[in-house]
Order: sequence, then structure tokens, then C-alpha cells
Amino acid sequence: MSEPIVKMEGVHKTFRDFWLRPVAEAVRGVDLTVEKGDVFGLLGPNGSGKSTTIKMILGLLAPTSGSISLFGLPPRSRAARARIGYLPELSYLHPFLTARETVRYYAGLSALSRREAVARTDELLARVGLSDVANRAVGGFSKGMARRVALAASLVSRPELLILDEPTSGLDPIGTREVKDLIGALARDGVTVLMTSHLLGDTEDVCSKIAILSRGKVAACGRTSELLTRTGDARFTIEGLSDEDAKALAAELSARYGKPVAFDHPSVPLEKFFAEAVGAARG
Amino acid sequence: MRRFAVLVRSAALEALAEPLSAILFLVALVAVHVLPSFHFHQFGEPGRLPRECGFSALLVFGLAFATSAAVHAVGRELESGTAAMALSRPVPRPLFFCAKVAGVFAALALFGAAVACATVLSVASSEMGRLVTNGGVYVWGPGIVSGAGLTLFAFALAALANWRWRVRFCVAACLLMAVAQPVALVAVAGLVKIPFEWGLLPALGVLAAGCAALVAMAGACAVVLRPAAVAAALFVAVALSFLHPVRAVLPDIQRFWLVDSFAGGGTASVPDMLAAGASGVFLVAFWLVAGSALLSRKEIS
Repeated sequence: MSEPIVKMEGVHKTFRDFWLRPVAEAVRGVDLTVEKGDVFGLLGPNGSGKSTTIKMILGLLAPTSGSISLFGLPPRSRAARARIGYLPELSYLHPFLTARETVRYYAGLSALSRREAVARTDELLARVGLSDVANRAVGGFSKGMARRVALAASLVSRPELLILDEPTSGLDPIGTREVKDLIGALARDGVTVLMTSHLLGDTEDVCSKIAILSRGKVAACGRTSELLTRTGDARFTIEGLSDEDAKALAAELSARYGKPVAFDHPSVPLEKFFAEAVGAARG
Repeated sequence: MRRFAVLVRSAALEALAEPLSAILFLVALVAVHVLPSFHFHQFGEPGRLPRECGFSALLVFGLAFATSAAVHAVGRELESGTAAMALSRPVPRPLFFCAKVAGVFAALALFGAAVACATVLSVASSEMGRLVTNGGVYVWGPGIVSGAGLTLFAFALAALANWRWRVRFCVAACLLMAVAQPVALVAVAGLVKIPFEWGLLPALGVLAAGCAALVAMAGACAVVLRPAAVAAALFVAVALSFLHPVRAVLPDIQRFWLVDSFAGGGTASVPDMLAAGASGVFLVAFWLVAGSALLSRKEIS
């Protein structure tokens, strides 16, 4: 078993009002373990406790009960936070800073040396495709561009654990694809990723493990492939088979196994089709 | 130290980038410079009107500018989520709070230094009018023209720099107008033998310390209160600051208001300035500790 990067045991979080009366029980007895190298997806409908869970892991909120450890340390420990990068649900940026200044600001907060901050900023702005607008104030950026700046800022300290809250929110399909490719590349480089999303397709594409939260409780948790695969069924793909041949084959298989056999024609995912169409139009 | 410097710089930049800052710098500085031209309203002695207005400008405009900047730097960052992004880094919360308030102090110090130079030049211009006419009434133009003129020139230069090089207009305007004040002072001092009242500078510094105490208090209140509630809390604090039991921790502006000592050619005593300065330092330290403690306990959702 790999080293646990994030470990939550019996975590509860109750929000209280000014008079300390309980207002909402956002998280109810969550147990989660994110191991080194995982791309872990935290799914759930609105109000299921995803963002509260993320904020407790980051040490921004304190759990009402239960324990959380980050790299074996308390979440508010500086040593633990020095090893993480965080992209919030909304790209909270200072509107008066340029894209370059924003990334350098977060490099400075991560105590990178001036020289390293400059080099890393230029590298990341190129990676998220914002080199051309690096000297423009982020206050005038579109939601998608601001998202890219925030993503670059979250990566500036070369984090071992990257926490992404709705990373593709506000991005167009090509931007979404690029972010998913980036997450894949980071995972191959050994970065552990913990992400939340309500876009199930995005999560399915990139996450090796998922946990589904519902009303503050873990409804399901495990490897994505194990949770989604129906091992009792089988599906074949045969290239270049006509409709008549397919029907004949289905009838033959049905007769042989005494069970109904269905067939369909595979379709290309819309995201792939969109990227190809836009790519072709751009030449 | 690097993290502290990064946060101080961003808070100072944020304070100066607000359009309100450029407007307050311009109005306060030009107003102080043109006061010697009101030669029929001298309150019994030349130099008294610009001197009192210089102190008032630092108190009223400085407080308006710096407390709104402190509320922005702390309260709005907590509300908007930029604080959450910063605090997810290895940044201790007390360091975050102290650095943000220190950034506002830096902007307030810039404003205070500019107003102090403008006040000294303006008082000297009034005195020069009296000297030229041997006690009569005369508006001595060079001081007013160089002070107000250089301030307006700096403002126009900032607009030009924004148009030509896309520099931040409000930040450039504040910085250039602040730089214009000592330049005007040195230029006038180089041109004519003029009696400058240098004793005003430490007294204005003491008043700036009082303002800094209110700014630190505003920052601490902004951790837990919304902006309108912070303004109300400051008002109540100033109103109650004369009461003996709370005097130790509430900034009593009267303690820092030393301008009356200069009436009739007098000067502020060193023990008074040291006592007021020490009180300012204590209050700043108290509210920094209080703000840090409040932020450390705060749930950032």
C-alpha cells in the first residue's frame, strides 16, 4: 500500500451561527484516504460537502470532530502546506495585478527565490497558453483566462499534492481537454491530485479513484475502473462489420448462450469531435 | 521574510491602486498648497490656517484612505477568497495579517510624508507673505505655484505614463504626487531664504502614528466585521476613546493632535511627542496582536 498523503478519519463539520447554535451539518463522519500517485475525484451534487471537505484538508476550516492529516502532519502545519497547490472553485485573483505578477505573487508566498520565481512563472504561463497576455491586468480577463492564471499559480511551487476544486469550471471544451491532459501529465510525473467536480465525464476521464459524497457522507468510494465496470457483462468491438453481419452474429450468439444479445455502433465522444472540428477549421 | 515582503508590497499596491487614493492625494495636497492665498483668513497669525489644515488633511483624508485600504486588504480579501488562496500556502495567519496592515501603513506613510512636505512649504509661503510686506497682507506666489503646480504636473505625468506605457494610473499618480512634494520644497528652499518650520514634521509623524493605530484597529475589526460595521466600530471607538477604562486600547486622537502647541510661534515639547509616539506604537502593537489572534481563530469558508 502506498503512503497516505491525505487521511481523514470520522470527520464531522457542523457550521454554527453567531450564538453557536448548529446551522448545518456539512460533513458527517467522512473517512477518506488519498495515496501517493492517486488522481482522486471527489464527486457529489451541490451542497454535498465537497468544498467543505477540501477546505478542511487545506486547514482553512477546522473539523468539529475527527482527524485529518496531510503528509502525516496537521493540515495547518507550514511544512504540509509547503507541499500542496490549491486551485479554488472560483479564480480568486487580485484584479490590479497582471498575469505575470499574480503568478510571481504566489511564487513569493511559496518562498521561491526571485530567480526561480521568474523562470517558473514564464514556464507556467507558456504552459497554460497565456504568454501573450502576461502583462495584462487579470481584472480584464475572461473567466477561462482567469482560470488558467489561477491554475498556473497553483502549480508554481511544484506541489506534491494538487487540490483542484472544479478545475474545468468556466473553460471551453478545448481548455477543458488541455486541463485534463495537464492533470494526466502531472500524475505521470508523480504528483498526487485531489479534485472535485460535478462534471462526471471529466472525472471519469482522469481519475484513478473516486469518492461520491451525498449529504455529507461517503456514498461510494474506490477505484474508478472497479466501481464502473460491470464484470457480469461483455462488449465486443469489431471493425468494418456491416449491419447485416452484426445482426446475424447477434442472433447466433443469442442462440448459443440463450440470452438476449444487443449491439450498437460506437460513437466518438463529443469532446474529441469538437476538438477535431475546431482544429480542422483553424488549419 | 520574503513572504512578508511579498504581502506588504501587494497590500501597498492595492491601497494605492484604488481610484479613491489618487483623488484623496490630489485634493489634500492641492488644498494644502493653495491655502496661503486665503490671506484674509489667517486666524490671527500667518501660517496658522495651512498648518491646521495640513494636520486636518492628514487626519481626515489619511484616515479615510488608510482605513478603507485596511478594510479592503483584510476584510475584502477574506470575503473574496484571495485570502484563502494565500493562506493555503505556507503562510502563517499572524504574518498574513501583520503584512497586510504593514502594507497599508506604507501607503499611509507615503501620504503622510507628502502632506508633511506640503504643509511645511505652505506654512513657509504664508510666513513669506508676511515678511515681504513687513506684517501686511500679500500672497507670496512662488511657494503656491511650485507646490500646487508640481502636484498637478505629477498627476498629468501619471496620465501620460498610463497612456504611453500602460502603467497603473492611480499608483503612478500617488507616487509621483508624493515625490513632487519634497522636490517642490527643495526647489523653493534653493531659490529663496525662507523660514521653514521643521518642527512640524515630528508632530505630523506623531499624528500619523495615531492614524496608524486606527488603521490597525480597522484591520482587526475587518477580520470579523463587514465594512459598514467596521466604520461604525471606528466611530464608536473614537467617540469613547476619552473614557478612562478603555483609553489604554482605543486611539484617542486628542493625544496625537499636537498642532495647538505651534500657535503663537510655540513648538511641541519633546516629552509630549515621545509620550504620544509611544502610545501610538503600543496601540498599533495591541491591535496587530488582536487582529492576528482573531484571524488565527477564524474559519475561512
